[in-house]
Amino acid sequence: MKELEKTKRISIASTLFILIILIAVLSYKRPKHLYKANSKITLEKMISNDYFVSLDEINNPDYVLIDVRSQFEFEKGHLENALNIYAPEILSDDNTAVFEELKEKNKTAILYGKNPNDVNAPFMLLYQLGYDNLKILTVENSYNENKLITKNTEIEKSVADVNAFIAESIKKASINSDKEVVVKKVVKKVITVKKKKKAPAEGGC
Amino acid sequence: MVKKKTAKFLAFRYKILALIFVILAGGLVLLPKYEKHEGIKSEELLSNIISPERYISTDKLAHKLINQDPSYLLIDVRDEESYTKYTLPNAVNIPLAKLLDEDFEMFLNQKQYNVVLFSNDNFYADQAWVLCNRLGYKNLNVLKGGINQWYKTIINPEKPLENMPAEAFELYTFRKAASMYFGVAYPEQYKTATVAKKEPAKKVITVKKKKKAPAEGGC
Repeated sequence: MKELEKTKRISIASTLFILIILIAVLSYKRPKHLYKANSKITLEKMISNDYFVSLDEINNPDYVLIDVRSQFEFEKGHLENALNIYAPEILSDDNTAVFEELKEKNKTAILYGKNPNDVNAPFMLLYQLGYDNLKILTVENSYNENKLITKNTEIEKSVADVNAFIAESIKKASINSDKEVVVKKVVKKVITVKKKKKAPAEGGC
Repeated sequence: MVKKKTAKFLAFRYKILALIFVILAGGLVLLPKYEKHEGIKSEELLSNIISPERYISTDKLAHKLINQDPSYLLIDVRDEESYTKYTLPNAVNIPLAKLLDEDFEMFLNQKQYNVVLFSNDNFYADQAWVLCNRLGYKNLNVLKGGINQWYKTIINPEKPLENMPAEAFELYTFRKAASMYFGVAYPEQYKTATVAKKEPAKKVITVKKKKKAPAEGGC
């Protein structure tokens, strides 16, 4: 009798043990998308700036255009032979299958959106997930009378020299005023101090 | 003979099993950290990327700068040359190439400040933001449109047309005042000399008062 109880206890304990392990194994979720490039490698790629394609280069048989705008925008107008993969859905199974297929066929996916900023972040995400056959089309899309107009743009081009503009404005302003202002122009940052000097002078007399 | 040997072996079976487990456990400890999987999950990163929450407008930033909000830290991710040429007031320069340097981690991975990343447009700033977001850094923002937008809206604001709503005029007045704060001069500033005096004087009000007082006393 004693013997029987002992084996019972042991078998209960062992089944429990096995159950716990089974549950643990089953509940472990392997992340669906694993990073294949760490931050350092990604940063190096980003600095290299070799992932841009301009509009005149897209007639390459190895290039496949991918439009990351919404379906609505895509149907309104898109580049010829482009596929539509809306950016927020870029990690769905169907869409990653598309990228996987392109990679296998050694084709390059050319991403474009409203402007390069639009595709920048999706591009980076896909790159970090190991899709290194991607490029960004440096275009800006706009509509004129419901017709899509695609123009080349330059990434991060500085539109104006702000310092020069400020200096110019001070110069222009000083033409209409007295000599004192000319001095002001030179010491642009300390304007406040100068003005204070002027104020008591006016008030005093 | 063979039977004897197996019997001998079986006598140790538990010890052998235990030994295998110990060795495996030791191996797990020594396993190198799998670096490529650093950071947040890719699905989470995607949802962060898609949300426009990270953007701060130039108007809001100008407002914060004029009020000298101490919780804002500006980081210029352009190269050094552009940084020395022109940058926003009190910005720190962290070129994109050096973003992951250990020296700069204290600027990016912290909790006290609202960090605003900017570049000429928001392309490079976004890239810096995505990299930092993957590493789980919080409190990071991107200046929408970067310095170009800053120039267009704050430094050189466009005058609204007559038929535009009143808000456009209010916005223009704010932007113009802001541009004066950041050093731009207007011709009428010198003629009337009222608007201009008020604006830059904000910073050093105390000094102004001191000087005024003796002048009054003199008369």
